[in-house]
Amino acid sequence: MPKTETYTLSMGPQHPSTHGVLQVLLDLDGENILRATPVMGYLHRGIEKLLESRTYIQGVPYTDRLDYVSSMNNNLGYCRAVEELAQIEVPERAEYIRVIVAELNRIASHMVFIGSLANDLGAVTGMIYAFRDREKILDLFDLVCGARMTFHYIRVGGVSADLPPEFAAKCDEFLKIVPEFMQEYEDVLTGNEILQHRLKGTSVMTKEQALSRNMTGPNIRAVGIHFDIRKVDGYGAYPKFEFDVPVGENGDNWDRYKVRYLEIFESAKIIRQALDGLPEGDVMAKFPKVLRPPKGEVFSRTEGTRGELGFYIVSDGSTKPYRVHIRRPSFINLQGLDDMCRGMLIGDSVAAFSAIDPLMGEVDC
Amino acid sequence: MFGEGLLTGMGVTWKHFWGKKETFCYPEEKLPMTERFRGGHLVLDHQKCIACSLCSLACPNQAIKLKIVPDAKKKRHMQSYVHLIGRCLYCNLCVEACNPRALSWDKNYAISSWHPEDMDDELVTEEGRAYFEMMMAKAKEEAEVEAKAKAETETAGGGDA
Amino acid sequence: MELLNTMLENGVVSTLADELRNLLMLIFGNEVVAGFLMKCVGIGAILGIISVAAIVFTYGERKVCAFMQVRIGPNRVGGRFGLLQPIADMLKLMSKEDIIPEGCDRVVWALGPMLLFVPTALIYAFFPFDNGVALADVNVGIFLMLAISSQAVLPFLISGYASNSKYAFIGGMRTVAQMLSYEAPMVFSLLGVVMLSGSMRMCDIVNAQAEQFWFVLMQPIAFVVFVISATAETNRVPFDLVEGEAEIVAGPFAEYSGMRWALFFLAEYANLLSVSILTTVFFLGGWNGPFLPGVVWFGLKVLAMVFVFMWFRWTFPRTRIDQMLAFSWKVLLPLALANVLFTGVGIYARQWL
Repeated sequence: MPKTETYTLSMGPQHPSTHGVLQVLLDLDGENILRATPVMGYLHRGIEKLLESRTYIQGVPYTDRLDYVSSMNNNLGYCRAVEELAQIEVPERAEYIRVIVAELNRIASHMVFIGSLANDLGAVTGMIYAFRDREKILDLFDLVCGARMTFHYIRVGGVSADLPPEFAAKCDEFLKIVPEFMQEYEDVLTGNEILQHRLKGTSVMTKEQALSRNMTGPNIRAVGIHFDIRKVDGYGAYPKFEFDVPVGENGDNWDRYKVRYLEIFESAKIIRQALDGLPEGDVMAKFPKVLRPPKGEVFSRTEGTRGELGFYIVSDGSTKPYRVHIRRPSFINLQGLDDMCRGMLIGDSVAAFSAIDPLMGEVDC
Repeated sequence: MFGEGLLTGMGVTWKHFWGKKETFCYPEEKLPMTERFRGGHLVLDHQKCIACSLCSLACPNQAIKLKIVPDAKKKRHMQSYVHLIGRCLYCNLCVEACNPRALSWDKNYAISSWHPEDMDDELVTEEGRAYFEMMMAKAKEEAEVEAKAKAETETAGGGDA
Repeated sequence: MELLNTMLENGVVSTLADELRNLLMLIFGNEVVAGFLMKCVGIGAILGIISVAAIVFTYGERKVCAFMQVRIGPNRVGGRFGLLQPIADMLKLMSKEDIIPEGCDRVVWALGPMLLFVPTALIYAFFPFDNGVALADVNVGIFLMLAISSQAVLPFLISGYASNSKYAFIGGMRTVAQMLSYEAPMVFSLLGVVMLSGSMRMCDIVNAQAEQFWFVLMQPIAFVVFVISATAETNRVPFDLVEGEAEIVAGPFAEYSGMRWALFFLAEYANLLSVSILTTVFFLGGWNGPFLPGVVWFGLKVLAMVFVFMWFRWTFPRTRIDQMLAFSWKVLLPLALANVLFTGVGIYARQWL
């Protein structure tokens, strides 16, 4: 009788498809995955502690570095938490601008998702197309805040500067080409039978599993649970806009892909409405330069691109937060990797990992 | 099914094969930086600077090391302004904190350097240093003149009394 | 002038070969010595073709990939079009450190890339580049070619095994599964061609296509099956599971560096060229074509096929191992068998009519 043995394959921390420095220990039986254990912490920079040692306003650029492909959403989450703590009223125009940039950034982030998923499945060209179109959004951000990666545009009390005069026209131009390049992804990736076979029916998660792993964002919408904090909490200017929340059915990788794919259109819809209804006014609230929020604590959550992004801040009445805890959606979504990988093949583990779409900067914080 | 999707995909790549290319040759062609671009070295307008050190206080990462010297008239002057590029987050808080608008970015993003010590950028230029010396000397002179005048008035006052 | 006329009549390569043979006969005055030297020249020519192909294809692959990805591609080394880029690549590979992983089976590990090159180069002996221009135009050409090319499994496996790395080993095991399962549909798809031409000699197959049609028209199913399984045999996307960059990093090549890795690279491009040549010979009418000399037609067709394979590579995602094997056994093999059946019925019906 031939004897078979299981073995452990250490995927990462240096691996082309772990999106940075994640180590996944795969217990394998041949090509079949018995268990997948993510090992985290290679990119830990102690951002929570950094935020605690800086004033509230100085902390904002550090949140850029959490989830560095959707910095706007992180800024928004942190600023909303601080505003709630210090009871700052944000001007109407600033709220609208926040929605515009946050949704633009959501599109950019989902393009990174599409691109990296394509790359992990071997379609390098699809990745290049996605990144090519993401550049157009980054150009818009460059115009707005002068940076392409770490934006630091949304500030406590509003946004750092009003939209430049040429922004509206350029954003309009971008929204017009959204269906064009989405059609291109449709042709190259979505319609591709090989990709469909790779994604459909793989890494299926039930609703119970996803809930017990506390997944949020597109990952939970993919299993069929209608949960979007933009709708549930209706923070900021979001209740004023009409948009749908795409929901998957089977909870497989294909649904995870599809949900994000459709969210791009919904985000474009929101941006269109926000641009049309952009009110006049200030973009920065009036509050003392040295911000001393009253004693207390706050947990504020927003819908980040990857799920529920929560900031828990305790204030002791000084200029610096006493304690900051960040509920990072990537970190918590990654806990579902084991459920998604069991019984799949090595190739699926890569797809599952990509489909969760974690970002190591956020996972390790 | 049956490879239609594969063929449409091949059609797209075929179209792009002959189509226009999106990239450009970087060192030869350079894109203009936007108006709000934050990057490169900080530039200090030494004539506008009032040495209030607000920029340094605003910096979240202590990337700005200042040496401020009070002159003979107790007015503060910037002797040395070191921007530690290695620590800089490019968050723009220092530029925004500057009330007299003396700080700005030079937008030259090609700032890589061979040695870590090259990353400490001194913002007070030769000209700025000369200006500083000039202001210090001027203040000293004025202070001396004032002191003399004061002494004179005092002695004169003494005479009067 | 006389030489030119014969060239036009008999083809460029064979005329030149005849002239060379005459020259050698003059010098040595011995049929055996001249024949031996002619074979040596032929072998040299084939090795030259392989090396040149590797150089041209590295450049071509980069440019094709770049153009499809809306990029410009290499444009620094050697003028505006980066023509010297492969030379730069080669110099870089040669100057790299030769890292031998600890715990590897050294002898076998070193043998891997060299052994891989042997079957890859050997099958070039049977390729007819022009009318009558083949190093060994044997009457069981297809049979020998398939037998030799299937030996390429072993070097992959032993280099994967000897690397003492799990990634390499998984890659090696995948190679075996992949190459073995795609060998079958490939062979059966060629059976239709053999039945139509009535010979396993490659020159005869090309000549049969000159008499009938190109076999791509008569055997479309076989053509599709052959192209798909050839893609799998050369380990290119969408069947590049052996390398599987995103999954098992580089598979059997993971632990190789410098010139050893370059040998794998060379073998990969030699394989690409050989499957393109095979497709041309079996389905695209070989050297047949109007106006231009046969060898030019042959080259054009081969390059077109190479482009098609590159086109596949830069458009498609990678399949999964179980899907790939299932596709081979459940789709390609029945198709190829059905094709054999149809071809047989067709031939029988044509005799009847």
